[in-house]
Amino acid sequence: MRPLDPRLVGRIGPARRYIVTTALLGLATAVAILFQALLIARALAPVLAPAPLEEDGLGWLGTLVPEDARELDTALAWLAVVVAIRVLLTWTQERLAHRAGARVISELRSQVVDHAAALGPRWAASGEGTAVATTVTRGLDSLLPYFVRYLPQLLLSATVTPLMIVVVLGLDWISAAIVIGTLPLVPIFMILIGYTTRDRSARHLEAMQRLASRTLDLIAGLPTLRALGREHGPAARVRELGDAQRRATMGSLRVAFLSGMVLELLTTLAVALVAVTLGFRLVDGAVSIETALAVLVLAPEVYLPLRMVGTHFHASADGMAAADAAFEVLETPVASPGGSAPAPNLAGATLVVEDLAVATPDGRRLAPGRLSMMARPGTVTALVGPNGDGKSTALAALMGLLTPDSGYVAALTPEGRTDAQDVIASDWSQQFAWAPQRPDLGPEGRTLSLGQRQRVALDRALSAGRPVIVLDEPTSHLDRASRDEVIARIGAAAATGATVIVATHEADLIAAADTTVHVAALEVAR
Amino acid sequence: MTAAKGALRSLLRESDLPRRRVALSILTGSAALGSAVGLSAIAAWLIARAAGMPSPADLALAAVVVRFFGIGRGLFRYLERLVSHDTALRGVVALRARVYERLADARVDAVLGLRRGDVLARIGGDVDAVGDAVVRAVIPLGVAVVVSGIAVGISGFLDPAAGVVLAAAILVAGIGAALLTWRSARIAAVAGVAADARVAEAALSGLDGAAEHRVWGTAAAAHDALAEANAASERAQEAAARPASLAAAVQQLAAGAALIGSLAIAVTSANAGDYGATTAAMISLLPLAAFEAVNAVPAATQQLFRSQQAARRIVAMAAAESPASSPSPAPAPSPAGGRYTAEGAPAGAPRGRFPVTGPALELDRLSAAWPGMAPTHPATAAVPGGGVLAIVGRSGVGKTTLLLTLAGVLPPAAGEVRIGGTPTRRDLMGPTIGMTAEDAHLFGTTVLENLRVARGDVTEEDARETIALVGLDAWVAGLPDGLDTVLGSGGNTVSGGERRRLLLARALLTPQPVVLIDEPAEHLDAAGRDALDAVLGRLRDEGRTVVIVTHHLHLTALADAVVSLDD
Repeated sequence: MRPLDPRLVGRIGPARRYIVTTALLGLATAVAILFQALLIARALAPVLAPAPLEEDGLGWLGTLVPEDARELDTALAWLAVVVAIRVLLTWTQERLAHRAGARVISELRSQVVDHAAALGPRWAASGEGTAVATTVTRGLDSLLPYFVRYLPQLLLSATVTPLMIVVVLGLDWISAAIVIGTLPLVPIFMILIGYTTRDRSARHLEAMQRLASRTLDLIAGLPTLRALGREHGPAARVRELGDAQRRATMGSLRVAFLSGMVLELLTTLAVALVAVTLGFRLVDGAVSIETALAVLVLAPEVYLPLRMVGTHFHASADGMAAADAAFEVLETPVASPGGSAPAPNLAGATLVVEDLAVATPDGRRLAPGRLSMMARPGTVTALVGPNGDGKSTALAALMGLLTPDSGYVAALTPEGRTDAQDVIASDWSQQFAWAPQRPDLGPEGRTLSLGQRQRVALDRALSAGRPVIVLDEPTSHLDRASRDEVIARIGAAAATGATVIVATHEADLIAAADTTVHVAALEVAR
Repeated sequence: MTAAKGALRSLLRESDLPRRRVALSILTGSAALGSAVGLSAIAAWLIARAAGMPSPADLALAAVVVRFFGIGRGLFRYLERLVSHDTALRGVVALRARVYERLADARVDAVLGLRRGDVLARIGGDVDAVGDAVVRAVIPLGVAVVVSGIAVGISGFLDPAAGVVLAAAILVAGIGAALLTWRSARIAAVAGVAADARVAEAALSGLDGAAEHRVWGTAAAAHDALAEANAASERAQEAAARPASLAAAVQQLAAGAALIGSLAIAVTSANAGDYGATTAAMISLLPLAAFEAVNAVPAATQQLFRSQQAARRIVAMAAAESPASSPSPAPAPSPAGGRYTAEGAPAGAPRGRFPVTGPALELDRLSAAWPGMAPTHPATAAVPGGGVLAIVGRSGVGKTTLLLTLAGVLPPAAGEVRIGGTPTRRDLMGPTIGMTAEDAHLFGTTVLENLRVARGDVTEEDARETIALVGLDAWVAGLPDGLDTVLGSGGNTVSGGERRRLLLARALLTPQPVVLIDEPAEHLDAAGRDALDAVLGRLRDEGRTVVIVTHHLHLTALADAVVSLDD
């Protein structure tokens, strides 16, 4: 588990700037904490000392906070300044963190959406393609707690902790030895515990997710159960699943919390040990009272960022998982269809498909499997065949939206034959007017019913004036009157010279077509 | 606001949270953070005492206590986390079952919305969010109160003035941060939710419409729409971040003020000889440890807000049917053939029950409507028991609404439906009427269990026979575990056509004498239409009364009566 994804630093500008600024603010915070500790030591030491203090008990660090801070008024004035600075630093850090988190999420979201769009319909139909919607809507949100809570503490543990160790070393080497001795134990123990329990935790996590999704599945099926009068049985099942889930979760938590306990135990015990040894050495006069006080105040600060990193560990895991999902998309290479030649004008051109085959995402079938067809201008060509055998995919290949696994799409013009794969993809695609099965009409389209959306998309395709009109199941969700009207308009469009290609099950539309092409899938031989 | 608070409280009450466990969690949590406070106080005493150069034996007890607190913190924290998570999980389990029960009895329009993925994900998230209120809000707040009380108590016992200063600072840090965080959460909830919805819409349009954008040349516009939505969302987050940042600053300021105030009081009093060095050291250093508990207040407040919103959504969604709108149970209509009971088939009814004759169905100038919507064209029709009634009409004319009215789910907007001679009622759905919606759910379980949703006692033999009737025998034979294959996982996905045919098989296996089927011909290929014909034929042979909603006129040839909703 990496705490920080280098790709975030490398590729996302706002993330890089934020990390640098936060590190600087962290250093400033460390210096303020140091001054606070030294000032407390100066102010309190004269009260505790049995005799008036003669020497400077802080060694070379005493130059930072002069001896006049032993005067209460001076110390309080200094402390007020330090507190004001710390308040300002905290406020700035919080503001920057929220802003940077929001910026990084926006930036990643835009990049992922653009890249996913460029990856094309075949990738979109694969498992990764369907997961990307979750990533860009809710998934990336977990980066906000990562940036606001986790990352600052991570950077503090890289700045405050080492600085404090140097300071403690300068004050009292025995205390520093205790700190330096225990500090590496923290990550070592955490890694050890994490390593031995990882498999178990992963198994539990998986079981938990499965149980949770089964409960939701039951709720999703509630309308169906209710329609069949079977809704009351599963409440007991929900309880059962939940209890199983609780046991699985507690099993993993008992182990997962162990690392937290070790962390707390080591850090607090180390502070206690520092205090006790300081006490016994004070009795011998082996250490000055000012040093003892400063070290006592500073010792917990060494561990604080590490403890906070542990506390916000889940924010790190979620944030990194979200970043991972985003970068996985961004790192998928784009195999853009098409070439660099200018596309021919498709008005009046005959479209030819030869031996076209596209593998399904699971690779088990070719859908379509070796399709050959011809679509002439001024005619209606109907693609028919069972659901899932590749009619929509054939249309996408025809429009140059995807590169087929074999076969090709070409245009026959008076100038000759041009292969779709050799021309600039957008020049080719944008000569088609397309009404897909589930048209996306932007935000305003989401308030329309399926039938209404279908009508709007058909209107757009039939009135765009583009040379080739491609309609995918144009009559589904329409009633008989609208269906007849659409069929008439399709015929009219062909009569004006457009090349019309439809995928359909509708008998009346098939009857109205000039040519009917059967699309069938092929099983891939294993 | 009060409504939301009430919702959270009533949901938590329903989830039967054991109070003693919650109290135990707060106790162990306070012991953990109290150890840190104790460690700080005793360590201060130890150093102050040692500075007086006593005999080492005088320090022995303090040294032991310091080490005890050092260990106690980790140990108590571990116990607290175990107890509190177990408590919360028990609560979530009970809550989930309770939400399911509430939903099962909820108003039908709420239930019908459940199939949408986003609604579903929200319910899952909301139930967890309500459960989180315990671990992440109630317990930390309780611990903050107890530990702050302990710290103020120690300080006040040593020097009342110092106690007052510490108490004031902790109150400012706690209440000030809570108010500011609450404000931030409310801004985020109001502006942020709308902004998030816009972002999601723009992002989904960019993804789902990618191919369309390429064909229509609208990719740049889609990109700009997302950029704009992103910017609006950033502005909303910025507005919410302002009070949140202020809360963090206020806490820092209060802690600093407590430190300065305590130090001033302790040093002045010690110099005046009011008390000794050890007391002064304890008072001075206590504020450094006392704020850890109260620093958890912002996160806890935020969680409380989130949980309340979640609770309110759950309660609103699962709002139980008001008793007034639910017709009182009355005896079931007397059947035309007299051979089925009011309860329909008991779960164990053998399949050989059929043929029976289902009840006659009459529509008398029936007009249907969702509340607030335009009612459908009045329809009058009648089929005898065992007949088939087809409903046809334009898209969006209200065919499904009419079907729900037939089932008694919606009250008629006008006119009447009579089943077996008496008006239809809501409680007939289930016992007498079984309905297969266009988007009926396939569960993430085996093929066989999915068929058993119709009836608990479907045998493998019944299942195979029905599967063959709808033409899915080859498909099932190709599945890795046949009828025992779990659907929807590991590549065992179901295509649209297969899904429709499975639902038809399920409709055929239902025990109810009245079968309603919604739009089964949409997206059906030729094989699917054959399956539908076979199922309708079988239902007719069994003597059941069938109502089918369709666009496809060829089906109306099989119907005894046709209702057209067109004008």
